[in-house]
Amino acid sequence: MENILEVKNLTKQFPGFALDNVSFTLPQGMIMGIIGENGSGKTTTIKSILNIYTNYTGEINIFGLNNKTNDEAIKENIGVVLDDTFFPEILKVADINKIMKGIYKNWDEALFHKYLTDFNLNPKKMIKTLSKGMRKKLEIATALSHHPKLLILDEPTAGLDPIARSEVIDLFQSFIEDASCSILISSHITTDLEHIADYITFINAGKIILSKPSNELLDNYGIVKCNEQEFLSFNKSDYLKYKKNRYAYEVLVPNKQAFKNKYHPEVIDNITLEELMILMIKGEG
Amino acid sequence: MKGLIKKDLLMIKSNFKTLGLVFIIYVILAFQGEMDISFAIPFLGSMIMMSTFSFDNLNKWDAYAITFPNGRKNIVISKYLANFLFVSLLSLIELVILFIIQFTEHKLNPQVYFTIYTMFFATILFQDIIYPIIFRFGIEKARIAIFAVIFSLVIILIGLVKLFSFKFLASLLSIFENHIFLSLTLFLIILTLVSYKISKKIYLKKEF
Repeated sequence: MENILEVKNLTKQFPGFALDNVSFTLPQGMIMGIIGENGSGKTTTIKSILNIYTNYTGEINIFGLNNKTNDEAIKENIGVVLDDTFFPEILKVADINKIMKGIYKNWDEALFHKYLTDFNLNPKKMIKTLSKGMRKKLEIATALSHHPKLLILDEPTAGLDPIARSEVIDLFQSFIEDASCSILISSHITTDLEHIADYITFINAGKIILSKPSNELLDNYGIVKCNEQEFLSFNKSDYLKYKKNRYAYEVLVPNKQAFKNKYHPEVIDNITLEELMILMIKGEG
Repeated sequence: MKGLIKKDLLMIKSNFKTLGLVFIIYVILAFQGEMDISFAIPFLGSMIMMSTFSFDNLNKWDAYAITFPNGRKNIVISKYLANFLFVSLLSLIELVILFIIQFTEHKLNPQVYFTIYTMFFATILFQDIIYPIIFRFGIEKARIAIFAVIFSLVIILIGLVKLFSFKFLASLLSIFENHIFLSLTLFLIILTLVSYKISKKIYLKKEF
């Protein structure tokens, strides 16, 4: 399978924070979710991929091309939703179409208007009059209307109500039906990623702590719930992290089945991405 | 790049009413021959165009624009071109209005056309000085620089007059008298190119 995105040893220094040797690959036709707490380096990674940040080391290839030397050709095929940047608010929704026609060779006016209709966006409205959710939908419509091959989305579902989130997730899933298209998506709403992501990359304090196919992660990782006596019987190499609650321990194990066979614990639950994040960041061990 | 220029022009659309009002006042005053506000129009246009930087800054537009397939260089060019086109358009409208007034009053005076060109020149000169500062420090900090630039220019002019006297400066300018239009245009082109090169260098390295 061809890789649509390759990030190799990406390092970026800031005063008090560094993105440290971040590496991952996104195969064609797949969705990769990036998770991590605020300030962990998700947006820095995305901004480096898009050359919004320039002063970094490492190598980034998109569609097999170096992102620095082929910037314009690559961006013709990328659709982007960023967390807090968009068109100036004094423009009207319809103005976006007029502007984008002069920017993307493949800009599809009819498709943009179809999204506006589907999302109930009034072309005559000024961007500043839109609610946060409607504005996000407009950003997504704009990102999709030039038939990109790769979507790079930083918190695309933030501010959307559950119905709108479900609509947007469906839209991403239909986008990926074309096997040549891929999505890199960072989100705090980990349940969204559980539904759509084929790969999960977890960044913490500027470092990748795991990057795996999501089914491997969700099928193999588990949480053992036990008392102190049981916990003390576990070998440290068989679990990753633990959290001591008031009455019990929660122990993160990388291989549920192997752990079950070795220790026969009473309760071993499937893990959610949220639990994984909390235990990996806040857990001990 | 066409899209980027269009974006700036669409952004100033809301100021068209204000501009229309200024033009009406201008026409009334020009017909009465009481006051010449021709100097204000291209400059006002340039200031309106400069407000696009504020809106860009407010919505962190630059980071978004960099994700488009236009390249950073064209983002800079588009800012210069949008301002040039807008100021040129305003100067042209002014020229037409003035010509109509003079034609109807049978008082054709070529000197006033040169005044319009001088104001066009001053406005672009202002852009050439201020745009690299905006690209380097952002519009908010550049506002202070705008006043500093105007103040410095006035001080320099007063200083020159004090040092060399008006007559000497006038005689210096008279060297170019026969080719003043050409000399000013050439100077403006060179200055704009230098200004653009500096802005481009700043913008290519800038992180948003």
